[in-house]
Amino acid sequence: MNAARPSPLSGLAVGAAIWAPLLALIFAPLMSFLIYGFFQVEDNQIQRTLSLETYREALTNPAYMRTFGKTVLLALQVSLACLVLGYATAYFVWRRPARWRAPLLFLLAAPLLMSYVIRIYAMRGVLGANGLLNGVLTTLGIVDEPVTAFLFNLTAVKLTLIVILLPFATLPTFIALERIPASLLQASSDLGAGAGRTFRSVVLPLSLPGATVGAMFTFVLAMGDFLAPELVGGIDGFTYGRLVFTQFGLAFNWPLGAALSALLLAVALCVVFGARAIGSARWRR
Amino acid sequence: MATVSANFRAADARRPLIGKRSLADWLLGAVAGIVFLALYAPIFLVFALSFFRTRRGEVQWDSFSLDWYGALFSNAEIAQALVFSLIVGFSATLAAIVLATGIALYASVPQRSERTRAVLEFLVFLPFLLPPIITGLSLLILSREIGLPRGFITISIGHTVFVLAIVYRILLTRIQAVSRNVLEASRDLGASRWQTFRYILLPQLGSAMAAAAMLAFALSFDETMITLFLVGDESTLPLRLYAMMRVGFTPEINALVTLVLIASVLLALIAARFIRGRVGDIEP
Repeated sequence: MNAARPSPLSGLAVGAAIWAPLLALIFAPLMSFLIYGFFQVEDNQIQRTLSLETYREALTNPAYMRTFGKTVLLALQVSLACLVLGYATAYFVWRRPARWRAPLLFLLAAPLLMSYVIRIYAMRGVLGANGLLNGVLTTLGIVDEPVTAFLFNLTAVKLTLIVILLPFATLPTFIALERIPASLLQASSDLGAGAGRTFRSVVLPLSLPGATVGAMFTFVLAMGDFLAPELVGGIDGFTYGRLVFTQFGLAFNWPLGAALSALLLAVALCVVFGARAIGSARWRR
Repeated sequence: MATVSANFRAADARRPLIGKRSLADWLLGAVAGIVFLALYAPIFLVFALSFFRTRRGEVQWDSFSLDWYGALFSNAEIAQALVFSLIVGFSATLAAIVLATGIALYASVPQRSERTRAVLEFLVFLPFLLPPIITGLSLLILSREIGLPRGFITISIGHTVFVLAIVYRILLTRIQAVSRNVLEASRDLGASRWQTFRYILLPQLGSAMAAAAMLAFALSFDETMITLFLVGDESTLPLRLYAMMRVGFTPEINALVTLVLIASVLLALIAARFIRGRVGDIEP
């Protein structure tokens, strides 16, 4: 950008103008929440004496740990479903003739344009006793009477999160598929491989890292989500995100909420770094 | 032209994969069909409920009316929330564009070290990659510590850091596509750094900025989980909807959501046209 060397002073000013907002708005908040975990609450008052008590409570209380385990399992199931369904759908769209691909891709992404809260609300209409799903099932004669087990439990949270997060899995997969050089597919077919063989030996290995990164993103989002569990989950669908959110509302225990979400932060960072490793490994090969 | 022929070649190369229909192909089609159904059933439901009435959960297909749209326009609370959301969206978008442009220019200076860039990008991407709940509660705690009351400022900051990554990504890609020779020529001909930015770089960033702004605005307009932590007396639209949902829902919400969806789709199509239009201009 700079053909002439800028003076050291103006360079410093520019650096400060760039780094100051980032440090103040992104780094400082994260630090302050980690520090809050060292505080405690007594008689509804936040005590600013540093101790490990709140972190210890957050990380060892069996009830919190159970909720954490349940939520990890939930997020794993959701992201796995997103990976498999998202991959199949992206692969399906990728193989359509060129003129169909762009509109289908738009259809895959368009639900993201719809309000998050409303999509959760609409899932109530789909999953409820009088909902679309029951309507279809009873019409087809698969069940005799409406199933109430679809709503206000953990299953409802899973189904809702899968539907809501699917675009985050399909779009990266499609991009990974598009990046496969056409020459490789041609070469594979010239060498006599059929569609199945080309898929197994060329397409899948080259696109799986991208698809996995997308699925990992859905895992992080499912881990931290508290709106879907709150709105369709009932008591059964009490997740870690809800546990954290409660501390900032009804329970009014900010230090505990901060300490609990430190674990969430650790999990999220592990996944982010894992995804980066997978993403860059693809280029080394 | 280049892209068109490349697409044709790619399509031909995929032909061996398309081949004759096997059982696996039918299965694949069925899964994709179910996914599209699952994605669109909720949207279809909202759409239908904005025009038709329900009785005991069943849609009455003979009750078409625009009553809910009428009711919507006389609902002052929703109008207020909508206006507030628009103001927050504009502010956050503007702030993110300015900040991201600065960061992207700073990061693309050739002598910038790889490490500096990595740290910079890590910070920029963090709020987008972490669960929104963490961004929300950490900003809540900091703003309490520095005595900043919850409201317009805190929400705008939350939205700005959330959309920053997307805006940065789009602008950086465009900046890197601008030929360095042109910028150096401008400097050699005696233009100041500001003039080079204003008259050479900025015009080439225009369409990328427009696309990034639309995306940022859409993200801000829909943001719910960060906002829940940072909201003061005035609610944004998603928060108003969330509150209404918990106490009982009025059907005019379906009308509102339908309108917002139509507006978003139009915006997205325009944004896509913007991006594609520019790519076409650059390529020979």
